[in-house]
Amino acid sequence: MTLDRRTLPGLIVLGIPLLWIVVFMLVPYGILMTYSFWVKSYPSFKPDFQFGNYILLFTDPQYVQVLWRTLKISLLVSLASFLLAYPFTYFLVFRCRWQAVRTWLYMAVIAPLWVSYLLRAYIWKTILGTEGILNSFLMSVGIISEPSDIFLYNQFAMVVTLTYIFIPFMVMPIYTALERIPPNLAEASSDLGVGPWQTFLRVTLPLSAPGIAAGFTLTFCLSFGDFIAPFLVGGPDGNLIASVIATQFGAALNWPLGSALSIVMLVIVLLIVSLSDRIEKSSRTGGT
Amino acid sequence: MKKIIAAASCLTMLSTPALAAGSVNVLTWEGYADPSFIGKFEEESGCKVNATYVGSNDDFAPKLMSGGGVYDLITPSIDTTALMIDLGFVEPLETDKIAGWKNIYPKFLGLDGIQRDGDYYGMPYSWGAIVLMYRDDAFQTPPTSIADLWNKDLAGKVSLWDDKSSIYVAARRNGDMNIYTLSDEQIAKAREALVEQKPLVRKYWATAGELVDLYKAGEVVISNSWAGYQSSLLAKEGIKVTEFVPKEGAEGWMDSWMVVKDTPNKECAYKFLDMQLSELGQCGVANVNGYSAVNPVAAKNCMSPEQFKALHQDDPAYIDSLMIWTALGDRFEAYTNAWNSVKAQ
Repeated sequence: MTLDRRTLPGLIVLGIPLLWIVVFMLVPYGILMTYSFWVKSYPSFKPDFQFGNYILLFTDPQYVQVLWRTLKISLLVSLASFLLAYPFTYFLVFRCRWQAVRTWLYMAVIAPLWVSYLLRAYIWKTILGTEGILNSFLMSVGIISEPSDIFLYNQFAMVVTLTYIFIPFMVMPIYTALERIPPNLAEASSDLGVGPWQTFLRVTLPLSAPGIAAGFTLTFCLSFGDFIAPFLVGGPDGNLIASVIATQFGAALNWPLGSALSIVMLVIVLLIVSLSDRIEKSSRTGGT
Repeated sequence: MKKIIAAASCLTMLSTPALAAGSVNVLTWEGYADPSFIGKFEEESGCKVNATYVGSNDDFAPKLMSGGGVYDLITPSIDTTALMIDLGFVEPLETDKIAGWKNIYPKFLGLDGIQRDGDYYGMPYSWGAIVLMYRDDAFQTPPTSIADLWNKDLAGKVSLWDDKSSIYVAARRNGDMNIYTLSDEQIAKAREALVEQKPLVRKYWATAGELVDLYKAGEVVISNSWAGYQSSLLAKEGIKVTEFVPKEGAEGWMDSWMVVKDTPNKECAYKFLDMQLSELGQCGVANVNGYSAVNPVAAKNCMSPEQFKALHQDDPAYIDSLMIWTALGDRFEAYTNAWNSVKAQ
């Protein structure tokens, strides 16, 4: 009896997340997996067990092409976020002397997360457009004489928009990683006669690697699954994999093919997550 | 047994609290259940109208597939109506319950897409053309042909509807006029033409609002468009555009109301259908969306002579000149796949 009473809270604590995982993750993935072996047949699709959908994905160049483009865009977004976020967070953690300023700057990066995603993507349309803010500015300072259409409706615009939207997910983990580095490590390094640049490369950067890996993973996976940016600011050459999936579930009414695509996407994301996990672990063991 | 009935009636009362007052749930295009005329209907009939809007004909099937019982009426276009029948989502209409039925243009009542085995499944509602449109201030000599969408001088200023209908456009440009029965070779040729056009395209438009924004922001100067709709929205913004039927002809569309199978709100649904075919509904949609009416008798009574003429209500030959959308059946995939592969490039 007493044992039961003791295990009950344990069961609840463990059971709820377990139930959650089963209902909201495993079952949907199972359904998706099942659909991916079905076959399209007018007017909709019918149960089957065949690999035609997967074979099509890797033989029809249109899917491979979009997959590569999506990987490229996501990688560019992660890279751009990293290049912007790292110096910024480094400054916040190590160079900014005033706590209030630090908090304000940090909040300035995080705050856009509370604004609707759609709105944030929309804003870039008004900035980058042919008659947009950027063009008016460039014309007023005399850099260009005619409004240019090179800023909007292309892959550049997608990378800019996605970087802006997802950069908080790069800043947050790097900030946490940098904050955890004891300042005396850098002091010890300089006491031993190592210059600041070498100290950064050999002490700070490796110790912040887990944060960088987490930031890369988050921004990459989020951009990888995005389909609003291509819809709003992408051009004719801006089709991403998530938009193709949306088309398969909607316009093409080919849920089996859409499911197969989703499974492929899921596998890629899982690969990246486990890769980043490995980097994180090896950097931790390497650090000690 | 009594218990079961009692329990069942309790359940029905619980599950459809709105039934007593009467309600009808419609899945439709924006404007088709506009407050400007629905308000009067709700007052007179006592039926509350709940509208959900779709952005494309492709939304009907997925929405109905993921579970029934939510919508009572839908309004797919004439290329999607047959799919709804094939999927078993809709039920035959009791046309004698709809007063204006015999006044509908015979051309529309003759279309295959809305009937099956002697029964009607769709009630024609409104129609229009897919015309081309250009910004007046961008052209000295007005464009007249689909070929103008491929004009290299307009690079970066062209837009095309993000829809399988782009294949219809490209096929006509290639001289293939049988746009709804294209062979694989003809589709491949159309696909090539669209790939060739791609560098000229600023953006494929997905919604009416997006196309309006593209014109407004000066991003595009020529595109295809739903006749009457986007141009009137642009006119309100003070942007002068002109619609034209290219010399290769224009596609025509017609939307029909369909009753979702086993709807519990049948009474209100038929009251709603009756109203939509009357002057209230016919002029309602004409005034809100700028689309033409299918019931010329009602249209004559509620439109000004100018509007009647502008919407081609006096001119059955105009309807005949349009290439009315047709269900593609099992060729549907060939078309959508070609269009998707253009977008993937």
